[in-house]
Amino acid sequence: MKHALKILSVLLLTLTMNHSFAQSDELVNVCALGIGNATYLKDFKVKLPANSPAQKFSVILTKGFVYKFVVCNAEGYEGKAVIQLSEGNNALVSNLKPDGSFAEAVGFSCQKTGMYNIFCSFKNNKEGAAVIIMSYITK
Amino acid sequence: MNRKITTVLAIIIAGGSLLMNCQSDGNKSKKDDFAIPDSIFKDKPLMISKEAMNDIIDNISSPVEMAALIKSTGVPFNQKFLASTKNVDNLSTDFKQALNLGIYGCDLGYLNMYEKTGSILSSMQAIKKLADQLRIGHFFDFNTIKRLATNNENIDSLMYISVSSFNNMDEYLRENNRSDISSLLVTGMWIEGMYLACQVVKEKPNETLRERIGDSKIVLADLLLILKNYKSNSSFANLVKEIEKIKKEYDNVTISVIPGEPEMVEVDGMLMFKSNEQQIIDISDETLAKIIASIENARTMIINL
Repeated sequence: MKHALKILSVLLLTLTMNHSFAQSDELVNVCALGIGNATYLKDFKVKLPANSPAQKFSVILTKGFVYKFVVCNAEGYEGKAVIQLSEGNNALVSNLKPDGSFAEAVGFSCQKTGMYNIFCSFKNNKEGAAVIIMSYITK
Repeated sequence: MNRKITTVLAIIIAGGSLLMNCQSDGNKSKKDDFAIPDSIFKDKPLMISKEAMNDIIDNISSPVEMAALIKSTGVPFNQKFLASTKNVDNLSTDFKQALNLGIYGCDLGYLNMYEKTGSILSSMQAIKKLADQLRIGHFFDFNTIKRLATNNENIDSLMYISVSSFNNMDEYLRENNRSDISSLLVTGMWIEGMYLACQVVKEKPNETLRERIGDSKIVLADLLLILKNYKSNSSFANLVKEIEKIKKEYDNVTISVIPGEPEMVEVDGMLMFKSNEQQIIDISDETLAKIIASIENARTMIINL
């Protein structure tokens, strides 16, 4: 039953999408389904041509919250999104593991309220489109 | 499992109908934007770049976080904390409408957090009215939210659709040279989030909430920066004066950090970073009381516009 509903969901979404990143709101909706036991806060849409510098987003994160960042890549693009959470010049966590594979999600247990940056680029500088869902983990 | 399935379907249906709403209103919206130019934006040069301003507005944290903190204190829901929606028809200018839309948006987050679906509808009607008047109503899928609000099984979807609707409205405003309206929207949300936190702290002192009120000093500085961009407009100038009064009280709040050894762990496929530093927020009882009073004054000013 659950599997059938998932297929139905994908079909419905496919009908409303034109395989174009212009329909990024649908990708946000799909991606937001994958945040698990977390509450949606914000989304960031990224579309970069090949060999582009990383796109930067700034966010204020609050002490005491555990944030979860989930990345969904758009269909039809080769690039896989690499995100990195930083504070100033200090890189904190990335979804790209040292072995070249991707983590399903990255978390950040915030101990200090302040401004943080999310950098998004695409692996091997390929063209890509993706959405990043920022949520907090519900205790 | 049923709840999860319903949530999945509700989000998909909502997404689809939102898409159709946006598509059908697309031309109308563009026309409206040309018909009502962002005069403040065009007439006066900005002190900071549009990109920097977008960054700052993005920075202002979601009212959902404050609502979550409030709920975590264990203080029960209190309808009295919420702004009355009775005067919504008297809000005659974009300035008043945008500020109060922010207030109601934050209240909606508080209602959602406590799953007060019955009260959500009156709040929603006010939100819909103001959003329509500001020509951003097409981002708010009133019918879907109404349907979800009447079904307590769909709280997750309700929260998602409510928050993403506000995010989309804000994004649209900024993309269409209406950052002045966007700045008012986030100001209203911030003030109301602070007001709710202050009321809870008054009712039941709580160290975590007290700290969050204290470290809002960081956001306040950014908020003032964006509002000052528009202070050639007398309404904005008055608002800036009110926010500056809050800032003055915050001058006595000190924030310091003790460094810690960071650690990285992997939990269920998620890489988790924990900095282990310690942030100390020093806020005296007297300063807290003054901040609460200044927030209440600003909020009263806004809801009585």
